[in-house]
Amino acid sequence: MNSNMFFSFNRFYLLLRNDMLLNHKKYLLTIAGAFILGFIVLYTSMPGYVHKGDFRFVFDAQRYTTAFGMCLLGLLAFVGSAFSELSTKIKTSNYLMLPASTFEKILSQFVIYVLAGSAIFVIVFWVDAHLARYAILSNLKSVYNEDLGPDKSKYIEVFKYSMLLIKNKYPAISYWNWFEGLAIIFGMFSVGMYFFSVKIFFKKLRLIKSAISLIAVVYLGAVVMTLLSHIFYPETKGFDISNALDYKLPNGLFNFEMWLYLSAYCVSLFIIPFGYFKLKEKQL
Amino acid sequence: MIKISNLSFYYKKKSPLFNDFSLELENGRIVGLLGKNGAGKSTLLNLIAGLSQPKEGSIAVNGFTPFDRNPNFLADIYMVPEEFSFPHVSIATYVKAFSPLYPSFDLEKMDSIFAEFELNSSSNLNKLSHGQRKKFLIAFALSTNCKVLVLDEPTNGLDIPSKSQFRKILVSSVTDEQLVIISTHQVKDIDTIIDKVVVIDEGAIIYQENTEEITQKLYFETVATLAGKENVLHHEQCPMGHKIIVPATTNEESSVDLELLFNAIINKSI
Repeated sequence: MNSNMFFSFNRFYLLLRNDMLLNHKKYLLTIAGAFILGFIVLYTSMPGYVHKGDFRFVFDAQRYTTAFGMCLLGLLAFVGSAFSELSTKIKTSNYLMLPASTFEKILSQFVIYVLAGSAIFVIVFWVDAHLARYAILSNLKSVYNEDLGPDKSKYIEVFKYSMLLIKNKYPAISYWNWFEGLAIIFGMFSVGMYFFSVKIFFKKLRLIKSAISLIAVVYLGAVVMTLLSHIFYPETKGFDISNALDYKLPNGLFNFEMWLYLSAYCVSLFIIPFGYFKLKEKQL
Repeated sequence: MIKISNLSFYYKKKSPLFNDFSLELENGRIVGLLGKNGAGKSTLLNLIAGLSQPKEGSIAVNGFTPFDRNPNFLADIYMVPEEFSFPHVSIATYVKAFSPLYPSFDLEKMDSIFAEFELNSSSNLNKLSHGQRKKFLIAFALSTNCKVLVLDEPTNGLDIPSKSQFRKILVSSVTDEQLVIISTHQVKDIDTIIDKVVVIDEGAIIYQENTEEITQKLYFETVATLAGKENVLHHEQCPMGHKIIVPATTNEESSVDLELLFNAIINKSI
């Protein structure tokens, strides 16, 4: 079988070029919009007034993490706008007939919306975080309008990406370990991939169908746990999901957490191949 | 070359559109695909273009199975759909973005067609009229030099001068290597350019003939009255009397009146 049928570097380059020529204005506007929105989120999250000498409420890693999470929703929305050519029957027909393989079509969208989108998001958030900090610090006062002196910059920490990853002083995220950390990253990737390929999976009522299928995954977990509960805990009655949710694994992990982690790990493994075959078999 | 063998296709299992349908079309021809509304013309074009998958049977287009959507197949087939949509870009940007994906694309040919159609490369595609956009799409399709060109209602929306330009450009630009399939209800727009007629009805071919053979077998004429006319296969009233089809008996050939022929086929007069 000829590998050229699946991937040709020249064709892939032409496909990327095609997308850039047609959509570069949209991408530039999106970057500008992301820059402005990111700045607004961070600026409004940071305090305008502080208590002099009180460093209990410093704008630190946890607060940056919250702002990062909010901005991440914007990235998710951008990733969800991939495969815009599959929005109508006419556009779908044009897209399917574009001289490139299904693999090249998926890869080009992945490169633009996931890889480039994430890379630009990382840069934009970093710039926004620093700009917002300088903007806030230039006007930061105490609640009694006192000058904060040389300690002023301590009220808002300098943003570093390592802040989002390392163990810090707050218990909410202090149980960080590799298993959970990777589960969060894989989980984010899985959700991203789901939004990335949602236009391939559903023709109509995409938002409703996406919501239903996401809820279905969670409920499927509950059903699986109920079944397992009946097997390993014979005292379980009927669909007693509330009990099932309380069961713990020997290391203290709730089994529902275990289900979420496993889903996070596994979904990303099959969602892209599934999307590939769905696009390959797509008909008008 | 297109070879369709024992094709079955349906959207709903209870109402099949094609059942055991077979058809062979050779390169170097301009084929008129005719049929009533709902006869399955657009579906057949979609199947040929690889946009739908046959339920049974096979389709081979220049050796490729269309639904595999092999990139080399897609680079050698171009479909002008009845309805279309363009990105918000100029003609020049569109050509820059899409033409490299077609290895045989001929920019000079496109420029000359643009000149004939009076199209300006700097115009924004979505600010053009429907007819102008159609002309652009036809110009682009012909410039790709794809071996198979599928044109679904290509003359819809074209003004009268553009229709004759379309015929002239199509005939002059199509080579013996290419196969052009034109599906249309506007049969008068294409009756001078096609060299094979295929009529489908209820998922079956009810007529297929090369125009040379048609003119050898049938004679088309307009007469003031039917009185004294024998062996009239089909006739229709017209302002000048009657348009009739009779068996060709002499060496004299007439030009094919495609609309009259189509009506005769549908009415089973032929």
